[in-house]
Amino acid sequence: MARRARILRYFSYALLAGAVALIAFALHLDVRVRDEFEGRRFALPARIYARPLELHAGLHIAQGDVEDELRELGYREQPAGDSGWFAKQGAELDIAVRPFVFWDGAQPARRVRVAFDAGKVSALRDDQGKDLPLARLEPLPIGGIYPAGNEDRVLVRLADVPKDLVAELVAIEDRKFFSHGGFDVRAMARAAWSLAGTGRAQGGSTITQQLVKNFFLTPERTLRRKFTELVMAVLLEMHYSKAEILETYLNEIYLGQDRDRAIHGVGLAAQFYFGKDAKDLAPAESALLVGMVKGPAYYDPRRHADRALERRNLVLRETRDQGSLTPEQYFVARAAPLGVTSRSLMGTSPYPAFIQLVHRQLRRDYADKDLRSEGLRIFSSLDPRVQGAAEGTLARRLAQFDKERRFGPPGLEGAVVVTDPQSGEVQALVGGRNARYRGYNRAVDAARPVGSLLKPAIYLTALAEPSRYTLVTPIDDGPFTWKSRGAPDWEPQNYDKKFHGMVPLRVALAQSYNAATARLGTDIGVDKVLASIKKLGVERELRPFASTLLGAAEMSPLEVAQMYQTIASGGFRSPLRAIREVTTQDGRPLQRYALNVEQAFPAEPVYLITAAMQGVVREGTAQSLRSFLPAELGAAGKTGTTDEQRDAWFAGFTGDRLAVVWVGYDDNRAARLSGAASALPIWGDLMAALAPEPLSLAKPDGIEEVWIDPQSNLRGDSGCAGALELPFAQGSAPQERAPCATAIGTAVDAVDSTVKKAKSWFERIFGR
Amino acid sequence: MMRPMRFAAVVLLLAACTSAPTPVEQAPAPLPPEVQQPRENTPIAGLMESARADAAAGRLPNAAASLERALRIEPRNPRLWQELARVRLQQGDYAQAESTAARSNSYAGNDSALRAENQRIVDEARSRRAR
Repeated sequence: MARRARILRYFSYALLAGAVALIAFALHLDVRVRDEFEGRRFALPARIYARPLELHAGLHIAQGDVEDELRELGYREQPAGDSGWFAKQGAELDIAVRPFVFWDGAQPARRVRVAFDAGKVSALRDDQGKDLPLARLEPLPIGGIYPAGNEDRVLVRLADVPKDLVAELVAIEDRKFFSHGGFDVRAMARAAWSLAGTGRAQGGSTITQQLVKNFFLTPERTLRRKFTELVMAVLLEMHYSKAEILETYLNEIYLGQDRDRAIHGVGLAAQFYFGKDAKDLAPAESALLVGMVKGPAYYDPRRHADRALERRNLVLRETRDQGSLTPEQYFVARAAPLGVTSRSLMGTSPYPAFIQLVHRQLRRDYADKDLRSEGLRIFSSLDPRVQGAAEGTLARRLAQFDKERRFGPPGLEGAVVVTDPQSGEVQALVGGRNARYRGYNRAVDAARPVGSLLKPAIYLTALAEPSRYTLVTPIDDGPFTWKSRGAPDWEPQNYDKKFHGMVPLRVALAQSYNAATARLGTDIGVDKVLASIKKLGVERELRPFASTLLGAAEMSPLEVAQMYQTIASGGFRSPLRAIREVTTQDGRPLQRYALNVEQAFPAEPVYLITAAMQGVVREGTAQSLRSFLPAELGAAGKTGTTDEQRDAWFAGFTGDRLAVVWVGYDDNRAARLSGAASALPIWGDLMAALAPEPLSLAKPDGIEEVWIDPQSNLRGDSGCAGALELPFAQGSAPQERAPCATAIGTAVDAVDSTVKKAKSWFERIFGR
Repeated sequence: MMRPMRFAAVVLLLAACTSAPTPVEQAPAPLPPEVQQPRENTPIAGLMESARADAAAGRLPNAAASLERALRIEPRNPRLWQELARVRLQQGDYAQAESTAARSNSYAGNDSALRAENQRIVDEARSRRAR
């Protein structure tokens, strides 16, 4: 008797201890559940957009390019719903433009009819046939800055989720969701039964349990974990409403993978699979997403369309059986195709180099944590069409050079930067021949010797002193030695290993003569030239050595683009920008990166150097551009080649584009390719693909055009063979007339004396 | 080369003349002469109009954004640069107002009215900056 009582007592102690332990466990879990659920804020990546395409009458763009952009945006090619489609009618496009919240406000959905003629938009009208001044398409999402684990999502509110989606979810995943207290005994029993029978685990978890599992627990499958999950689910149900749990679930669920990016939540999944917002999903579309909860990889509609379709139809059937879809709705939905877009928007970015540049510019103003979690919307200046052309030409040409040269792996590398010369906006950035590769970004991070690309800065510095230098001032391209203490003598050689005697300044630049340039640069002063380079926008400190003048200085292609941009925009420096605007997730403007200009140089010398750089293309080292671009384009540029041809460059601009191309080996091997032979063809191909506008310069007040006889470099006229009209700063043109000039002129011996005078001037300077 | 010198001279002259203290609260700059083709249904006219409406309502960043949109279409339109210079002046960014007006001048050709207005913007920017 006493023994029984004792056992009973022990038993009840044990029971009590167990109950206490359980309560303690539950309390511990309770704290965790509440803490984490309430403190939980989904981290939202910053989303980066390309520039929006702005259509207007007169815009130079081919119909095919607009169609491509619409396809990229996931527009269907026939009428389907209110917006997000286009229809082609000969040389006209009927576009149902989607609504979009821009930096400057929301733009509603609208219909636009665009007519094309000869590579141009000839007319732009609304659906009433009224002329429209401007139509802005929504910008292409080009990437994001993701939180840890590369989780990506677009938050949705329950109110914005279609009722059908919720009904479908409940029908297939958890029929008792709205009535159970966190778990469903019958579903669990069914699952246990099937596990015992077939040895395969099967569902049985409620939506609440699934949320707990994703939210708080590791994916291991043990009984202990199952128990914890159950307790937590009950606790969650005690503290939060069904609506709160459902909304969190819809934003949390994992619905697919895009390379290293994890697709979470129905908001992003709707974008990822259908290119639309969750609220616009049709019942058949939401049924597909709901069906994928079970196994996003197994039911991937892009890879396993049959399985996905079968699963979707199962979801629809169950939903109908639950009475949440009418037989008519079911019939329509079942007959619908899967309807997923062919490719996903907003993928892991196809433009990693550009995204990296954007990220860096953003980090000056935002904490990295905020970029990865606050869902900022970043409007960039990337032009997908220009980017595509830059990537394509670089990859094609490098493959060709590799094949011709047979230097073996690793192959040649390259980088391209394209900007708008007027605004300084970066339109394209290619960091290597494999543009999709997220790695070494040569356009931004590779600092390579720039060779002759610095010469325009030297000549610009000279031309800013019109009393000393004009485009026809004779410069001595004889052997040149520069002595400085503590350094070996510097004796620059010319590319052709010859010296050319006295040459006019413009020819020294056009032919890229090193001896003449070294003499000119050291004459005006290395410090002065370096100051010019700084004014042109190069922030890097360059070493104050004479050898810097001939391009021993190392720069990235982006820095070179900045330097040339200041010249291309007439001496007005605008810092290169990749970002236009930043807004919060819901479109509230945060920041604008304004177009700032600063006059770095007076208009006159910039006009003169630009004319000289046009000469490089017309008759100098970049003559071969002729086979790519019409001469009337008047492109200006400069080739660059470094010692043993390790680096090949071309930088230049037309009326509406500036581009810099670099080619070389990462390991600094000699490429044995000059700038003209490798970087130039890439530049030429690229510009030709972009149908650039001619470079027509606004002539400043202080510039006059004078006819020059190229033989004597004196004033000439129609009587002189090959006479050139050259610009001069007011009053700086030669006064004497060339012998060939038919009007009254000076005698031949006067010409001789001019040359002699110039020569003696050189001799005076250099003591030769 | 010549122009900055001339500007400087004008400013010095102005500074010498306006010795009387200027009121702190200045009336907004008078609206400039209308664009040449104001009623035309061009993208530039439309953007210019909305920029002016935004500027008048004090939404200066929006005004600047519209003008930059227009400049992407017509980067050599001196009136757009001038309008942008005026917005910069209103924003209190005097250095930008001045250089943007100079940019407008570089495309102004021999439009003397346009140049005079740019000069006025430059002068105003300098005198306000000097304060």
